[in-house]
Amino acid sequence: MSLFLAGLGWVTPLGNTLAGVWEKLCAGEDAIASSLGDSLGGKSCQAFSVPAEVAAQAPRHPRLRRASAISRHAVTAGLAALQDAGLELDAAQAERSALIFAISNGGVIYTKRFYDEIVKQGAQAASPLLFPETVFNAPASHLAALLGITGATYTLVGDGAVGLLALRMAEDVLASGEWERCLVVGAEEVDALTCDAYRRWRLVRDAGPIEPFAQPPRGTILSEGAGAVLLAREGELALEQVDAGGNFSRRSELADALRPIAARLTNGGSADVYIASANGTFIDAAEREVAVKFFSQAALYTPKRGLGEGVAAGGLWQTICAALALREQKVPPLSGAPDIRLTTTRRPNEKPWRRAVVTTCGMNQQVAGLTLRK
Amino acid sequence: MTTTNSPDQRAQPPPARVAIVAVGIVSPLGAGLEATAAALREGRDCISPVERFSVAQCRCTTAGQVADEWLAKVLPNERKTRRLHRTARMLVLALRELLAQAPQFRPQLTVIGTTSGGMSFGERYYRALQGNERARHLAGLVANYPPQKPIVDALEICGLASPCQVIGNACATGTNALGHAFECIRAGRYERILAGGYDALSELVFVGFDSLQASTAEKCRPFDRERSGLVLGEGAALFALENLAVAEARGAQILGEITGYGISTDNHHLTQPHPSGIGPRLAMERALTSAGRAPNEIDYVNAHGTATPFNDAAEGRAISELLGAVPVSSTKAMMGHSLGAAGAIEAAITLLALRDGLLPANLNFRTPDADLALDIVANEARSAAEARVALSNSFGFGGTNASIVLEKPAARAA
Repeated sequence: MSLFLAGLGWVTPLGNTLAGVWEKLCAGEDAIASSLGDSLGGKSCQAFSVPAEVAAQAPRHPRLRRASAISRHAVTAGLAALQDAGLELDAAQAERSALIFAISNGGVIYTKRFYDEIVKQGAQAASPLLFPETVFNAPASHLAALLGITGATYTLVGDGAVGLLALRMAEDVLASGEWERCLVVGAEEVDALTCDAYRRWRLVRDAGPIEPFAQPPRGTILSEGAGAVLLAREGELALEQVDAGGNFSRRSELADALRPIAARLTNGGSADVYIASANGTFIDAAEREVAVKFFSQAALYTPKRGLGEGVAAGGLWQTICAALALREQKVPPLSGAPDIRLTTTRRPNEKPWRRAVVTTCGMNQQVAGLTLRK
Repeated sequence: MTTTNSPDQRAQPPPARVAIVAVGIVSPLGAGLEATAAALREGRDCISPVERFSVAQCRCTTAGQVADEWLAKVLPNERKTRRLHRTARMLVLALRELLAQAPQFRPQLTVIGTTSGGMSFGERYYRALQGNERARHLAGLVANYPPQKPIVDALEICGLASPCQVIGNACATGTNALGHAFECIRAGRYERILAGGYDALSELVFVGFDSLQASTAEKCRPFDRERSGLVLGEGAALFALENLAVAEARGAQILGEITGYGISTDNHHLTQPHPSGIGPRLAMERALTSAGRAPNEIDYVNAHGTATPFNDAAEGRAISELLGAVPVSSTKAMMGHSLGAAGAIEAAITLLALRDGLLPANLNFRTPDADLALDIVANEARSAAEARVALSNSFGFGGTNASIVLEKPAARAA
């Protein structure tokens, strides 16, 4: 069974058009982190936010009236992916379409508000309007309703690797033969609560920029938005393989978990492009190692500096970057990274790039990889 | 250049059959399959007052709860294991029972569902922040709160390693997990999958359902005319699923088969099903088609049956229109609604029903609902030695609907 990336869409702190964001990244532009305003645990938080004018472009629909930012980002990205594929689902097509939604921190804004009312005022103050939006699959439900999907809708939860795990699940779902296509969407919303949580894990830094591959690691900065990929049975870019990887217990074990995945990803040949998830944390050292050992001839890039650590959206952002790199035959500059003895640009007279590798290492025990082929 | 996938000219192999080779379970009914079977035989009411957090301002004050003493000795009292969430302990308990039945089972994939993971850790963390606590233990709470953490920990503790797909499809989750795992094996993508669901009581979720007035202040009465809402529960159930041919070749015990799966999405409302029951009906129809079974071949339905006015009306209508007068019961009256674990726990209960020829009771049933033409297994377990094929339903927020068909071993040969 061969599957193809038929459509791409994203909502990012740099905007929400494929070409627009890609050109900004290629020009070396980074999103600017800003204070979230709300402080917890005595410290304020910095994060990359989707600009208000971009967020305002979410479609107006009754199902989104009370929905949180994560749902709106997801809907915008999902619809953009369908548009990129030149597809407007009619009822028959919607019936044969599946939807897989990748989520990590979920609807944290409403969850925090809902529980805050319980803590400060008691259970009787809890809002029945907020609670349904706190469930993991609320965003998927809104998107399915907008698209008229009545078949398979799944929400997959995990850490930053969940976007690629969702692509793997999409392969599994489509193998049944019951569905013609699968829209895979990963989304995230930022909040001071998640920033505080990641700070307690000693994973975030107080101010930008993110410095991938810096030694010692200096920390990451959380981001929000959504990424969407439409998988279909025909298209230009083949999803060659998705390696669901596995789990690691301790940060020091990540390299051991990533190494065999990287080895399997070379089974189809050498990589022309390597889109890593290095984000200024313990992840960087493991990916540096596999980059040198397995992808030394590849043009290396990580979108974390430009777009921030998008967690559930991040893996799909990486996948979209890999697709655009093959489509446009260029990668953005890996600015600020020390000399890691890897090329980050296209060499003159180089053969056309045909194969891209993506590895996504989550910050809470999951790791996965994939390859695309043009 | 666009590339089209060329049709494979060779004949496709027939879909694989999917065997259940082991099951582990912990729920308010008991720890383990046999304890669960005993509770089902008795029709035991396992609902008790909630003391884990304050319910003073809630309509509902009861829930189905897993006894702490069952979990107390699951793991050694070490620093590393003390920090693990309650759901991780439930999963270890269930996984150990499963591996005792099938010691050589090594999953290639774990497909599992939850709706809230380590939520109570998140609650403690948030309360600590409000109290301006600077305790170092907050990092541990944060690290063990994510929904995938309990299963990852349980796998490691039990010496297993596999990628995990953790599904969060609200109350349909457990059945979605089993059904998706079934389809993966059937399509030949994998030979062995560990599948199931888990959830633990949490204040946020408990108050959430109460705020919607979905919880009842009295008994949970599925399909009763006077039903007034659900009671929550908790637990974990795990299934070792394997390609039947492979399992038989190695002489594995076969507890049963999953033979069909149906999934549908009802876009009517975020929390309420379409009154016509179209979502549940589609899921059940697709499950039957997937199993190659006609409606009159279903011997028992383990219903979602939350006892909310809307769910029971929609589901009841769908069951009677599609399946006629098939025996139906909801075991949620006995043990509460365990959310992400419900589908998996109830599949295990359905398997026991087929094994023992005893359909579990739908407790607290006093007055039939005249709008629902159902044969409810009312208040006492019912003997059904001839039952071979059953349907288990789970429906959830966000319009998620899932049904699976379970069959006794060799029911297909009959």
